[in-house]
Amino acid sequence: MDSKILQISDLTHQYRKGTPVLQGLNLSAEAGEIIGLIGLSGAGKSTLLRCINGLVTPTGGRVEVFGENVPDLSEERRRLVRRRIGMIFQEFNLVDRLSVLKNVLVGRLGYSGTLSSCLHHFSKADVGLAMDCIAQVGLDDYEDVLVRNLSGGQKQRVAIARTMAQGAEIILGDEATANLDVRTTDSVMELLQGLAQKNKTMLLLSMHNLEVARRYCPRIIGLKNGILTFDAPSASLSDDAVTEILV
Amino acid sequence: MNKKRPRRFPFTGILSLLLTAGLIVWSFSSIGFELGNLQRDLGKGGHFVGQMIPKSVVDFVWIWHYLFGDPKQHLASAILTPLLETIQMAVVGTVLGAIPAFPLSFIAARTSSFFRPISVAFKTVLNIGRAVPVFVYAMIIVCWMGLGKETGAVAIGIGSFVMLCKLYAEALESVSPGPVEAVKAAGGNGAQVFVFGMLPQVFPNYLSSTLYAFELNLQASFILGMVGAGGIGFKLQTALNYYNLLEVGVLVFVLILLVNLVDYLSYRVRLVFS
Repeated sequence: MDSKILQISDLTHQYRKGTPVLQGLNLSAEAGEIIGLIGLSGAGKSTLLRCINGLVTPTGGRVEVFGENVPDLSEERRRLVRRRIGMIFQEFNLVDRLSVLKNVLVGRLGYSGTLSSCLHHFSKADVGLAMDCIAQVGLDDYEDVLVRNLSGGQKQRVAIARTMAQGAEIILGDEATANLDVRTTDSVMELLQGLAQKNKTMLLLSMHNLEVARRYCPRIIGLKNGILTFDAPSASLSDDAVTEILV
Repeated sequence: MNKKRPRRFPFTGILSLLLTAGLIVWSFSSIGFELGNLQRDLGKGGHFVGQMIPKSVVDFVWIWHYLFGDPKQHLASAILTPLLETIQMAVVGTVLGAIPAFPLSFIAARTSSFFRPISVAFKTVLNIGRAVPVFVYAMIIVCWMGLGKETGAVAIGIGSFVMLCKLYAEALESVSPGPVEAVKAAGGNGAQVFVFGMLPQVFPNYLSSTLYAFELNLQASFILGMVGAGGIGFKLQTALNYYNLLEVGVLVFVLILLVNLVDYLSYRVRLVFS
């Protein structure tokens, strides 16, 4: 059986005609891989991530996730794929007015009934799983705290717990550590690294910090003007290669 | 390439200033406003207001009798019943306006994905509706419903609807897309995206808009009461007609208490949910 859980071929996308954001991109990844995605702002990193979980429908090419071509799927089918893909964001994108537990339970929405979840009622199993995830990211006893009262690092941990509650097999990070200080970045990256090792979660993390990318991502891909210009082990990411991608 | 700054008429600022100044001078002179008149009329006004304030034992005894003395004119019929009627009209009007405004505000929101012409047409209707005073709605409704509290409540309801639709729509427009995208990315469906991504963001705005509408409706209910819709406004109008200024004073005092109490309570509620 093919061990690739992500297979992208000839992916192109343009928001406006004549200004392509992604151009003929090919990429594949296996379970448990940690991939750093680097490139300048506007290189197409966020669009690539959103094409993978179907939040953006590309104008061309194939994005096969778990063997299904996401652009071909109906919104309902995409939702089923999406619930297996976690996403963490630079701005955390948590619901500030809800508690840590409720935010983590958002990860279970894809598996819950519409009416019961909309009434904020989740099964005991889901609540137990969410509590477990909160404990795993080191936020025990914070379940009832409102997210707006947390620090940036704690918020990103909640976001990771949300993807864990999802049972995500792929985690997409959109500049997930850009707003964090050096120590918090390390602890968040170690947490993610642990998920890849323990659960075989595939991580695709866009980032600007090259040192962090080199340290935590065994494989690095570089995007420049929507074109994949680098795809190699981080050890081969020479200064010349960085210059090529970023200048 | 350097972008050219759009050319502006060099005297636009000065012209606007002159026009505004002209408008102010014209308005003041047209209504014949003079500070001297204000000073002269202030004495008359002071005398009128002074008659509403009890100054002697006789006045206080009258108020005591007005509120508690006469079994036919006791506290309940003098104050409480009309006061409650005024509050009820405001409550019913606010609810009648808020319930349809909630779903329909989605059409009015600039960020909505509704068919654009429908959205624009609906917003135009709302803008026209907002320009019409509640009093005019009451005048129209009275033609088939007659005078009374129900008419007042329906008129207030229409006024609330057009106002709340706009305020709710503005709340929806201010929603941060981040949490919405996150809930969608986690596999949430449309209803879940609304409940978990949008509602927590808009709820405090919805609540404070509704409470604000209620405060305004309380005043509208009072004014509509003066023209026959009942409640404490009607009571006040009757007292004014009989030139019973001490009674007017008592009623105005109760109204001030009510408005401040509602203002304080809505502040506390907003604090809890902010």
